[in-house]
Amino acid sequence: METALKTLAREPDERVLIEAAQSDPARFSELYEQNFARVYAFFARRVATREEAQDLTSEVFHQALASVHSFKWQGAPFVAWLYGIAANVLTGHWKRLGRNPSLEETDLSGAGDEIERSVMLAELVDLLPTDQRRVVLQRFVKQKSIREIAHDLGRSEGAVKQLQFRALENLREKLGRPI
Amino acid sequence: MNPHVSAEELDQQIEEMILGTSVELSDEASPLLATASELRLLPDPDFRRRLNAELMSEAMPAETSFTPSRDNRPSAGAAASIMPTLTGKGFRIFPADHRSFMVSFASHAALVLLIASGIWVGQRPIIRTTQILASKLTYLGSGGGGGGDGSSIPATKGTPPKFSNQQLAPPVIVVRNPNPALPVDPTVLGPPQLNLPQSNQIGDLMSSNVILPSNGTGRGGGVGSDSGTGIGSGTGPGVGTGSDGAYGRGAFTAGRGVTAPRAIYDPEPEYSEEARRVHFQGVVVLSIVVDQEGRARDVRVARSVGLGLDEKAMEAVKKWKFEPGVKDGHPVAVGVNVEVNFRLY
Repeated sequence: METALKTLAREPDERVLIEAAQSDPARFSELYEQNFARVYAFFARRVATREEAQDLTSEVFHQALASVHSFKWQGAPFVAWLYGIAANVLTGHWKRLGRNPSLEETDLSGAGDEIERSVMLAELVDLLPTDQRRVVLQRFVKQKSIREIAHDLGRSEGAVKQLQFRALENLREKLGRPI
Repeated sequence: MNPHVSAEELDQQIEEMILGTSVELSDEASPLLATASELRLLPDPDFRRRLNAELMSEAMPAETSFTPSRDNRPSAGAAASIMPTLTGKGFRIFPADHRSFMVSFASHAALVLLIASGIWVGQRPIIRTTQILASKLTYLGSGGGGGGDGSSIPATKGTPPKFSNQQLAPPVIVVRNPNPALPVDPTVLGPPQLNLPQSNQIGDLMSSNVILPSNGTGRGGGVGSDSGTGIGSGTGPGVGTGSDGAYGRGAFTAGRGVTAPRAIYDPEPEYSEEARRVHFQGVVVLSIVVDQEGRARDVRVARSVGLGLDEKAMEAVKKWKFEPGVKDGHPVAVGVNVEVNFRLY
């Protein structure tokens, strides 16, 4: 947890954004944009499917929007509050599935580095050349086959595999060693 | 290694990974496959947009509309008693002429249209543009550094030390003074929250020299091929090819001794025709870096509303002039968010 929060030394504007969202819920969108990737990454490594991760992420932000008025600024980053909601949502999810989660599974202390790495990876994907980025998103996020991607992009399958290869090399080089 | 063969092999292994069958990793493909595996955990951008839209529709109170229930809906007979002149029935003393209704309806409709057109013409966008909020810096956003001690060997490959708001000692690979009077950890200048990959080997990430220890061919005391106390091929105390602190084209964040830039010339953006036509309002948030000259660069849309308003906001902000942020008495590049509020009144 400490690692996650340290790397998140939040911008001075976060408090302004929170106060704005408390007086006008329509401004919650900015807090959402700033924290979406971390909340999603929290779930992505803890549930089996993308659909589960999406449902739980959605639940966290709906709960956060409904109760943001009660948030009291005490210097901790907003995402720490969201992680609290996320942990409860995850526990509820496991209960519905009949699972009894261990304390370790809901403990965030080991999650910080993983989450930050996922966020950094998403930022690096955004910085890839357009063709490489499209291939990465379609192949790994949309789970499309090389053939489908080649058809969508109007390129040969060989060219798409090359783009995939170069994209992964680019990302590996910028990201450093895997966890 | 033949890259074409590797691309083919890699794809086969990715396919097996996606299908969940066992994967035998070749040494070359293993790190790439590990990255591929991490990519599968990234969120779908479409889901991100969809959820944002869902939250916003929840946050904004829906317009109330009155729909009479079927049970309470007046019957034709009732309508006749409620609006006798409409049907030409009722008020038997003076039988109504339905043509009167048509004339009345047409004149009222014309009056409503006239008033509405007057309101429409009278409307012009009132745009609040200048609420500037300090924001997080863009990760790869004119930071850079370099240095060296005139060695004939390029700097050793490695990772930069931590970023700090004050650089007390530059990074070195070959230590010329092993017993300094006041030993301090080497740092590069930049926002401390900026994280780059770390390793035990300080060096230039971009160097091809992975064996021989060298501070590089530059000068100035850092590591690299130009001058300065940073790392890379730049001339500053940061990391990369530029001449400022931070990394790449990064910038400082306001706060902790860095003042926020202030807009001194901020002409209002225009409303896009597309948005005006459908009476569309919204807040565009732009992420920009205000450089030492007070100009906006690296203008990106951090929150989009579409319908041409993002482009109009960007066009305007690029023309703005700022009083730059200041650190230790010197102007520095600072990353900020600019909120452009498009409203029709």
